[in-house]
Amino acid sequence: MTGVQATAQKSPRGLWSAGWSRFRSNKLGMVGAVIVVTLYIVAILAPLLTPYDPVTQGDIPRMRYLPPSSQHLLGTDKFGRDVLARIFYGSRISLSISFLAVAISVILGSIVGAVAGYIGGVVDTIIMRMVDGFMAIPRLFLLLTCIALFSGSIWLIIFLLGATGWMATARLVRAQILSLRSQDFVKAAEVLGAGGRRIVLRHLLPNTLTVIIVAATLRIGGIILTEAALSFLGLGVQPPTPSWGQMVFGGREVLLSAWWVSTFPGLAIAVTVIGYNLLGDGLRDAFDPRQFA
Amino acid sequence: METLLKIENLKTVFWTEEGAAKAVDGVSFEVGKGETVGLVGESGCGKSVTALSVMRLIPTSQGRIVQGSIYLEGTDLLALPEKEMRKVRGNEISIVFQEPLTSLNPVFTCGEQVREAISLHQKLGRRKSKEKAIEMLRLVRMPDPEKRYHNYPHQMSGGMRQRVMIAMALSCEPKLLIADEPSTALDVSVQAQIIELLLDLKDKLGMAVLLITHDLAVVAQMVERIVVMYAGVAIEEAPVQDLFTEPAHPYTEGLLGSIPKPGLPTNRLPTIPGSVPDPLRLPTGCRFSDRCPKRMERCTVEEPPMFRVGNRHLSRCWLCEES
Repeated sequence: MTGVQATAQKSPRGLWSAGWSRFRSNKLGMVGAVIVVTLYIVAILAPLLTPYDPVTQGDIPRMRYLPPSSQHLLGTDKFGRDVLARIFYGSRISLSISFLAVAISVILGSIVGAVAGYIGGVVDTIIMRMVDGFMAIPRLFLLLTCIALFSGSIWLIIFLLGATGWMATARLVRAQILSLRSQDFVKAAEVLGAGGRRIVLRHLLPNTLTVIIVAATLRIGGIILTEAALSFLGLGVQPPTPSWGQMVFGGREVLLSAWWVSTFPGLAIAVTVIGYNLLGDGLRDAFDPRQFA
Repeated sequence: METLLKIENLKTVFWTEEGAAKAVDGVSFEVGKGETVGLVGESGCGKSVTALSVMRLIPTSQGRIVQGSIYLEGTDLLALPEKEMRKVRGNEISIVFQEPLTSLNPVFTCGEQVREAISLHQKLGRRKSKEKAIEMLRLVRMPDPEKRYHNYPHQMSGGMRQRVMIAMALSCEPKLLIADEPSTALDVSVQAQIIELLLDLKDKLGMAVLLITHDLAVVAQMVERIVVMYAGVAIEEAPVQDLFTEPAHPYTEGLLGSIPKPGLPTNRLPTIPGSVPDPLRLPTGCRFSDRCPKRMERCTVEEPPMFRVGNRHLSRCWLCEES
């Protein structure tokens, strides 16, 4: 009886609320969501969460390489700066770079994929061969070359990470559009006199939205890793602005004597990437297109 | 009666690996203003392709209209630029499809979709068009239209979704509604409601209806005139009474014979032997010749033209030649 009532109450619900209720019952997905939300809160509230400044150097001879203590929970680095404060402020860099870069690649990829999938034919073939070509370019080398040539401002890094990551989204969106295009509701919209642009924007893309969001979430982890790798190589965000990759790099000489300098930012990277991946997997399970056919 | 839609010698082909399949191969017929015409035939005889051709919605990657003309109130639709054609679709001619389950976009509410159909051809504000959408839902007798406006397609039954589709199709008061098997996918009890609704709306809005179906029982109650199609051509055309009482083409006779008659005890329903010919391998002469019980020598050699049998009654059969 209660089961019947529960389903009866469930029915007047949209796609989003139904997906949300499925997502809530997924423990790992919720763990991911909590991690990601916490990270954003930390990034926004960083100045309130720690009394230390992430950039100003301390009294170097006395303050450098202090081990974790009640004053400095995660110890201090070479310049006597609080590691926890630098991790908090560093999350701003990691989160904003990854978010903006993924946003760029998702928008680019969706446009290219939608155009290729909807127009089809020769246009599709040409666009998708170009995508294949872009995919063949070794990404890290391209990034290193560009940054070495044009100096590494944050905006350039965001742009480059976005502009080199859209191909997978383009393929995904194209495949979705192709399968949606032959559906009856698209024909029904054409019959009513809707034009091509309207059909793509109103009927095709909204139907791919959940798939795009899931893919984007899963991509963010990868972007954070790439950014960390760039910073580790010294080509990412320039010091003294704190970034996690650069912090790992900074502690590599003292890995055995002052292990906390590299280990904690490394852990922060790992937890963030795991958080995003769990969230992405949870979203995929909740919004699997096969469940609301 | 004034002519609304006039199809002349329409030929539509589909590209297949084995060559061009003539899905529609020289169809001609007319629909008068406010008239209800039934287009009847077996699956694959070209009924739906005819409808899509009228809308000029044959996907270019799959096929093409190769010959003929389609006039709507004297305007040749096949000669219109695409942009003008878009103003005809939904505004002058609308279609209701067979599958209400998949013909609605799953991510928008039904009301939103009716509203969109309205805003495609009418410049109304957001509030006005929403009011109009609810009014349309009420017109198609949707129960509780204000509430149903906010429902998603998967929250509605098949019959209700078909009502939404009809509301969308009629939202710009088209002159011609093409109903392509509008009730086939629905429960029998709902079928009758939908057909009744269409008839009612037709009278209310004064539009013409082209009803495409394979079910002669459905057309018998609904339409004034019937066009029977076989293998891509119209083979008989007659007012309903004449067609049912004096079918002139052996194929029509066969179709009528295979309708179950209540009260008459029969062990088996009569059937037409054989099946619809492959459009890539049509028989020479009359297309029905290989299945026809009244076949003559001439039938396998020469394709018959349309002969006039009576008042507004045409038949594509050599047997009708002398009359």
